[in-house]
Amino acid sequence: MDWDRRTFVKFAVGAVIGVHASPLIPKLMDDSTIWTQNWSWVPNPEGGGVAYARTVSPQTGTGVLAKIVNSRVAGERAIRVEGDPDHPLSQGGVVPADASALQLLYNEEIRVTSPMLRNRKTGEVMRITWSEALDQLAGNLSELAKSGKAHQSLALAPDPSDVTGRILSRLMHSLGSPNTAYTPTPRETMALAGVFMMGQPFLGFDLANANYVVSFGTPLLEGFGAPVAVRQAYAKWRGYPKNPGTLVQIEPRASVTAGQADEWLPCKAGSEGALALAMCRIMLEEGIYDKSIESAYGFDDMKGFAGFKSMLMKDYDRNKIAKMAGIPLAKLIKITLAFAKAERAVAVCGPGNSGDPGRMYDFMAVLALNAFKGNLGKPGGVLTQQPLPLKALAGDIADPQQPPLAGGERPFNVNNVNAMAKAALAKKPYGIKTLILCGGNFVFNGPQANVMHELARKTPFVVAITPYLDESAAVADLVLPSTHWLEGWGDSTTPYGSPVSSYGVHRPLVKAVPQARDAGDILLAVAQRLGGKVAEALPFKSTEEALAKRSEDLGDFEELAEAGSWVQKKAIYGPPKFNTPSGKLELFSMILHDLCVKQAGSADVLENMLAYLGVEGGAKTAFLPHWQKPAAWGDLKGNKLLMQAVPSLRTTWGGDAITPYMVKILPDTMLAEQDKLVVEMNPITAKALHLNDGDLVQVESEEGSLTAKLSVYAGAAPGMVFVPVGLGHEAFGFQVAGKGMNFNNAAGVTSDPMSGMPIWELTGVTVKKARG
Amino acid sequence: MWRKDQVRYGMVIDVDKCTGCGACSVACMSENNVGVLHDETDKIKSITWLRVYQIDNGKPFPDTEVAFFPRPCMHCQGGESGTPGQGFFQEDTDPDAAHTPCVSVCPATATDYDDATGIVSQIPTRCIGCRYCVAACPYHARYFNWYDVPWPKGTPRALSPFVSPRMRGVVEKCTFCYPRLQQAKNKTFLDGSEVGEMDYQTACTEACPSGAITFGQLQDPGHKVHKLIKTDHAFRMLEKLGTNPKVYYTSKRKWVRMLADNHLSQAKAAKAAASGGH
Repeated sequence: MDWDRRTFVKFAVGAVIGVHASPLIPKLMDDSTIWTQNWSWVPNPEGGGVAYARTVSPQTGTGVLAKIVNSRVAGERAIRVEGDPDHPLSQGGVVPADASALQLLYNEEIRVTSPMLRNRKTGEVMRITWSEALDQLAGNLSELAKSGKAHQSLALAPDPSDVTGRILSRLMHSLGSPNTAYTPTPRETMALAGVFMMGQPFLGFDLANANYVVSFGTPLLEGFGAPVAVRQAYAKWRGYPKNPGTLVQIEPRASVTAGQADEWLPCKAGSEGALALAMCRIMLEEGIYDKSIESAYGFDDMKGFAGFKSMLMKDYDRNKIAKMAGIPLAKLIKITLAFAKAERAVAVCGPGNSGDPGRMYDFMAVLALNAFKGNLGKPGGVLTQQPLPLKALAGDIADPQQPPLAGGERPFNVNNVNAMAKAALAKKPYGIKTLILCGGNFVFNGPQANVMHELARKTPFVVAITPYLDESAAVADLVLPSTHWLEGWGDSTTPYGSPVSSYGVHRPLVKAVPQARDAGDILLAVAQRLGGKVAEALPFKSTEEALAKRSEDLGDFEELAEAGSWVQKKAIYGPPKFNTPSGKLELFSMILHDLCVKQAGSADVLENMLAYLGVEGGAKTAFLPHWQKPAAWGDLKGNKLLMQAVPSLRTTWGGDAITPYMVKILPDTMLAEQDKLVVEMNPITAKALHLNDGDLVQVESEEGSLTAKLSVYAGAAPGMVFVPVGLGHEAFGFQVAGKGMNFNNAAGVTSDPMSGMPIWELTGVTVKKARG
Repeated sequence: MWRKDQVRYGMVIDVDKCTGCGACSVACMSENNVGVLHDETDKIKSITWLRVYQIDNGKPFPDTEVAFFPRPCMHCQGGESGTPGQGFFQEDTDPDAAHTPCVSVCPATATDYDDATGIVSQIPTRCIGCRYCVAACPYHARYFNWYDVPWPKGTPRALSPFVSPRMRGVVEKCTFCYPRLQQAKNKTFLDGSEVGEMDYQTACTEACPSGAITFGQLQDPGHKVHKLIKTDHAFRMLEKLGTNPKVYYTSKRKWVRMLADNHLSQAKAAKAAASGGH
C-alpha cells in the first residue's frame, strides 16, 4: 500500500478515534491525578484486619480500647485509642492525652531505643547492651551499700501505689535507703484528712448522683480525678429543659469550670477553706444543718480545748470571711442556703489549679461542711471506697537505719519530693551520690523543676528509667528504655475523688521499641544482680509475676489482664464506719492530737513544734478543721502579684508530656506566635502595671522567671497572673519542644503546714515588660 | 427534593455540656490522619477538621462566662429552611435553590453534596487546590494543605488505613467520618439489615467525655437528633446566611444563642438574606 496523503489522513483519523474509544485517556488522567499526589513522603498506611483490645490508661485510671490493625507487611499496630464503653469510669469517653497517646508511643525520634551511657565531661552518648547497663546500675548501688552509704541514694517514681512504685520502694528499702519519693497527689492529702476525721483513708465524691455541687477551688472539669467520669457526672447535671444539678465553682478565675458552672464565686485565691467554714457557720446560725453533727467528737468544747462550734463562732463570722474572700455576702448566703436545702448536695475539694495535692486543713474544712450537710455515706455525698483487695508483694522489710532526707521531724510521714531534693542539695542531713529517676519526668514536672534539674546536675550518678528522651533522660548518666503503657505490664489504682475504687492492669498490646523493658523488670533485674537481702525482698522474675501476686484476690490473673480492670461493683451507701478512737466523726482529731503530742513529748514543746511546722494559731485550732492563711499571701508587698496555674485537659499536669495533637488544639490564649507562652491578667491590674494586651512580659518569682505574651482577660481576678501549666518542653520532638515555658520553673513550692505535703498553688511574682 | 429512601445525617452539640477539653478534636485527628506542622499557632494554616472555639460573654470580672463551640463541617444543604418547630431543617423543594456554598463553587467536583445521605464529601485526589471552596465556606471549616505534613520517624505506624493521608496542595475538611458509614454499610449488607443509629457514629461523638455530641438521622423520628433539634434551645450557627446547615447546637444560655447569630427575628433574617445572601 502506498503511503499517500489519503492513507495518512485515514490512519491519523483512525488513530485518534481509536485512542478516544479506548480507556487510555481517562485512565491516564486518573493515573496522573494519583501520581501527582502519590509521593514517597506521603505515607500509605497498609490495611488489614481490625481488632480491639481492652486496657487501662495509667495516666487517668480510665479504661480505653486500643484499635489494632493486623497488616501483612507492617504487622500488628495500634491505630487509635478510644474510650471503653464497658468501663464504668469511661463509658466510651476519652480525654485528649489518652486519645493521642500513640503519638508518643510510635515516635522513634523521642523514644529511648536502647540503653545509653553518657559521658558527663564530653557529653558523648554511647549505646550499650542491657547486660552492661544493668551491671552499671547494680554495681553503683552495691558499692554504695558496701561502703555503708546506701542511704545516699534517692529514687523517684510517679506513683507509690502502682506495682513499679512498690518494687522501687522495696528495692531501696532492702538496700538500706529510706529515700523514695513520688509525685505528690491529692489522694494523699485526702487520706490524711479522712483518717484524722473519720479513720477512713479512701474517700470519694458521689458526683453523678449529686444535684448540688460546690467545688472549693479545684478544677473539676480540667483534670480533677478520673476526668471522663467527672464529665459524665457533669453532663447529668445538665438536662432539658431545666438543669437537674447545680454546680457552684469557687475560684479566682473564670476558668472552664467556673465558666460552665451555674454560679461562680470569684474569691480571693487561697481563701476557699475559710469559705467552707463560713458556710458551716451560716448553717449553724440558721439551724439548717444535720443535727447528728452535734454528737461528733469535738463539736462542743472539751476539757482544755475549745470545740469546733466555739471556733466557728469566734473566727468565721460571715461578714468577716466574705469581706476577706472578696465576695458579696448575699451570694455566699444564697449558696449556703441552697446547699443546705438541696436534696443531695456535696462540697468538693481536690487538687489545686497547678496540680498540687491541696492543703490538708482545707480538705478537713470541706469534709466538715459535708458532715454539716449530713451527706456522709449518702447518695450524692461523700462515700467511703472499698479498699482495693490487693496483696503486698512480700513480707515487710525492716526500716533503714538512717533517717530520710526530709520529713523525719514531722509527726507523720508524707512524701515530699521537693523537700528531699532541697535537703540533698543542701547536704542536710546528707548529700546524695545516686539519683534514680524511674519515670515521671521529674526534671520537667518538678514540682519545682529547676531544683530537680540542679539536683540531677550535682549528683555524681543519675539514672533515668523512661520511655522517652525527656528532660530527665537529658541529664542522666545512664538512660534505660522502659515500656510505654501500651507495650508493657503495669497497673494503676483508683483515681482521686472516685466514689468507687478501681484497679487497672495494662499489658503488652503492641511493640514500638523492641529494646524497651518494663520499668519493674529493670528494677527486678537489678535486684537479682545485687543478690542477698535485696533479691530476697523481690522474689519475682518479672513485673507480670509481681502483678499476678499482687492481684491474687481479684480472681484469675489472665482474665483480669484481658479485661484490663477491676472496679468496685456498688458504691457503699449507709452510715460510714468511723475508725477513730472515739468511734465517731471527729471534728477534734484525736489521732492527729496524739501523733503530735507523741512527737513533741510534752505540752510546752507541742506549741513550739506546731510553730515550727507552720501551723498558725497553735494547739488551740491545730486539731480542728480550720483555715490557714496561704504562705504566698505573706510576700504580697509592693507590686507583687499572685501567680496561679491554668490547668487544661489540652495540656498535662505531671505524668506524660503534652502530645503533638494537644499542642495543635491549644488556643491562642495559651500559646501564640509559634512558641510564646501566654499569661492572663485582669485589665485593671494590667493598667496599673502599665502593661497592654500583647506585650511581652517577664514573670519573676524567687525561684525562676518566665517570658510570656500578655493576654488581658476580664475573667481573671485582679492582682493575679495566670500561667498555663504543662508547656515549655525542651524535649519531645519539633512538634512539642520549645513551645512556651515551663510553669514549674517559676512555681514556688512550700510545705503545707502540719501535713508537710509540697504545695505550689500560689506564688508571689512580679510582672514587668520584657526587654526586646 | 428529599425522598423517603434518602437519609439526612446531622449532629446536635450541647454547648452547655461541652467543657472544651478538645477530646473530639483529637479523636477526629487520629481517626482521619491529620498531621501536625512545625508551627500550629498559625490557626489559618493549622488543620483542625473539628475546631473548638472558646467564647465569653464579654462582661468584666466577676460576671464573665465562658462557652465552647466545637465546629465540624456544617454539611450545609442551602435553600429555605424550616421553622423552629420543624427543627429548622428541611430540604428545599426547589433543587436549584438549594446549594451548598462550597459545592457550588468547586470547579473540579472534588466536593459534592450526596443526595442519599446529605453529607458534603471531599475527595482530596480530585482537588486542584484552587481554594475557592475555602473562601466560600462561611464557617472556616475547610483547610488547605500549604505544606506536606512532616511525620516523625515511626509515627506513620499509627495512621489509619481507612483514610488516605493528604499531600500538600489540596483542601480537606470534616466528612462526618464517611469511611465509618461505608464500613457500617458493608457490615449491614452482609446481614441484610439497615444501618442503625449506633452502627454509624462519628469519632468525635464517640470520644466526647461528657456526651455533648449526638449524631444521627435528622428526619428519622427514632433517632435522638430528631427530637433534639426541635427543642426550644436548639439553634444553628450563622443561620441568617441561609446555609441550612445540618449541625445544630443547644444552649440554655441566651448570650450563647445570641452570639451564634440566631438573635435576628425571622423577618430580619429574611431581609438580611435577600440583601446580602447569595
